[in-house]
Amino acid sequence: MNLNLKAKKQNTYDAIVVGTGISGGWAAKELTENGLNTLVLERGRDVPHGEYPTATKEPWDLPRNDQIPHEEKKHYEKQLRTGYTIRESTKHWWVKDTDQPYEERKRFDWIRGYHVGGRSIMWGRHSYRLSDLDFEANARDGIAVDWPIRYEDIEPWYDHVERYAGISGEALGIPHFPDSQFLPPMELNCVEKHAREKIAEHFDRVLTIGRVAMLTQPHEGRGACQYRAKCIRGCPYGAYFSSNASTLPAAERTGSMTLRPHSIVNKVMYDEDAGKATGVEVIDAETGEMHEFHARIIFLNASTINTTMIMLNSRSDRFPDGLGNDSGELGHNLMDHHFRVGANGVFDGFEDKYFYGRRPTGFFIPRYRNVGNDRRDYVRGFGYQGGASRQNWWRGVQELAIGRELKEFVQSPGNWTMGMNAFGEMLPDHDNRMWLNFDETDKWGQPIVVFDCEFKENEFKMREDMKNDAAEMLEAAGFKDITTFDDPGGPGLGIHEMGTARMGRDPNTSVLNEWNQVHACKNVFVTDGACMTSAANQNPSLTYMALTARAANYAAEELKKLNL
Amino acid sequence: MSMDRREAIKRTALIMGGLVFAPSAMGVLNGCKARPGVDWNPEFFDNDQARFVTVLSDIIIPDTDTPGASAAGVPAFIEEMVFTAYDEDARERFLSGLEAFNDLAREEHGNRYLDLDPEVQFQFADSQNRLAVGGEHLDEPGTAFFLVMKELTMMGYFTSEIGATQTLRYEKVPGRYEGCIPFDEVGKTWAT
Repeated sequence: MNLNLKAKKQNTYDAIVVGTGISGGWAAKELTENGLNTLVLERGRDVPHGEYPTATKEPWDLPRNDQIPHEEKKHYEKQLRTGYTIRESTKHWWVKDTDQPYEERKRFDWIRGYHVGGRSIMWGRHSYRLSDLDFEANARDGIAVDWPIRYEDIEPWYDHVERYAGISGEALGIPHFPDSQFLPPMELNCVEKHAREKIAEHFDRVLTIGRVAMLTQPHEGRGACQYRAKCIRGCPYGAYFSSNASTLPAAERTGSMTLRPHSIVNKVMYDEDAGKATGVEVIDAETGEMHEFHARIIFLNASTINTTMIMLNSRSDRFPDGLGNDSGELGHNLMDHHFRVGANGVFDGFEDKYFYGRRPTGFFIPRYRNVGNDRRDYVRGFGYQGGASRQNWWRGVQELAIGRELKEFVQSPGNWTMGMNAFGEMLPDHDNRMWLNFDETDKWGQPIVVFDCEFKENEFKMREDMKNDAAEMLEAAGFKDITTFDDPGGPGLGIHEMGTARMGRDPNTSVLNEWNQVHACKNVFVTDGACMTSAANQNPSLTYMALTARAANYAAEELKKLNL
Repeated sequence: MSMDRREAIKRTALIMGGLVFAPSAMGVLNGCKARPGVDWNPEFFDNDQARFVTVLSDIIIPDTDTPGASAAGVPAFIEEMVFTAYDEDARERFLSGLEAFNDLAREEHGNRYLDLDPEVQFQFADSQNRLAVGGEHLDEPGTAFFLVMKELTMMGYFTSEIGATQTLRYEKVPGRYEGCIPFDEVGKTWAT
């Protein structure tokens, strides 16, 4: 009895954070900086900042032009679907599908990395605020449920996280595309600048440099970008925002964080008498042993699907269908962005111009469809990411030259080319969902996730504009040889899984309230992508950061007031 | 934060200790004359295949004022691609394409490719390239093979240290981005 009590005390914290990716790192930082003794759980291995094994490898250091051996591909059948994630230089950041199975009633590309830092190491770093065009959208269109917050609720928290994370970009003063707290922008190249001017002449559309969590000057103890464009391997300079380089070291410095890797959270434990969660049950990924950890508040930041998986697996008498699932919406309204549609073109001109350095981002064209007086036969909208460059040695393959002539030919760069790829909003739909198959388990004894999710009519209508507008803008900017592309792939391919535990005003139709608290279990907070009520078209990570910081500070205050 | 010393040493070690193809290292040390023999120890190609790949890659990218394909380790790169990156179908296609290319050489010049005079080797490769790039005879396995060989050669060469840094330009740590500068300030195509 005494021993048990002692063991329980040793395993008791003020707060538990499940997950160390973009949102978990922020929860750890904000909670520890509020003085809370915080246990941070990560299902994968530890990755201290700087321990990025391929970060300084040059092209000639990597076999097979960075391709993995064919023999290894069988381990990454689903992770390979992106076409860019599984390389010799990056494969250690992604799960092996043979270790981490899931089921697909319809194709769903669940692209994941399990290690400290999660996908904050491999993310695309684009960072855009949502606006009331997004927060009011569901209410305006009568789709799904209304967001329980508006832009003014989150605006100060965008400021807060941006000042720390460091977002480079250009202020534009567009109301539905709010500016961030910016570091100086990276530069557009000659052809992108030209396109920006021509597009502005012909349309009410703006081409701007990507707003990215990349440092154009030293910031908060981290180094500036060196323009190597090896970001996805991990940055030794800490020049882009990752949990490893930024939030976790900050949490560590408080002395209040205990980081426990190899810790798979099996379920949240619930005390019916107290009406609260008491802690989490953890499977040690290395030994298979089960441990219990206790805390007054729990932040679920395991990433959209895994957070909802934990909740669905947390069944009790009070919550027979999963923690906080009174509404029956847990697992539903799964979203991603739909993309891989747009156009490419070739530009005649600027032959005497070139660039220096490998800029690790491109341009962005914010949403203009269904804004103001523009009305389409679909709702919501899309933005473009793209970039211009000059053809390199590849163009020599399809040239008549071989030998000395070929060598000389490729020493001059070819034409400037530009491509643009649209990222569109996917509507929340009750029928798009994931659930657990309790009859099948993985090697840790956890149930298998099942997906049944698809793009629907609104997305496909939108894709027509996404394709044609791209070609139209390239044409207006004087490009030739314009070709369009349209290949949606499966949902999930955007690696922006959202929804499945949505925020809302009404406990009967949503899982979380306006503070990201589980309606029916107020000491559990969900602040990763699972909370999203709608997807907007912007890359979502910045919004997860802001929602997390907001919820964590609220939770800390409520704890002090003894309200939790 | 400037990179700490430990990190700097580690990075240097990574660069110095990185994979270098043997022929490339030898080429540098011996003043770059490493053909037409077999300068690496082929694991999977037989001797004739290895010599063939060496000769043809050097026809496609020869020594000029900068070293050519075999001095940059391209034959070893091609072997690794064909035998570890390719699936079985693609590997079979490559190996039978190589034979088909030899058959075409025999039809036109009476001998397998390796045994032709260097000048004839160049002319035959050049004619196959013209057919392939022109989209003609691509259903002929020997002609289609040439284009695969050309692509592999270029890929191996321009991602090698010699190809990337001597024939083209590559900066490990550019340190800055300038989006619109005179081409002359760079001077050559960026390798990546």
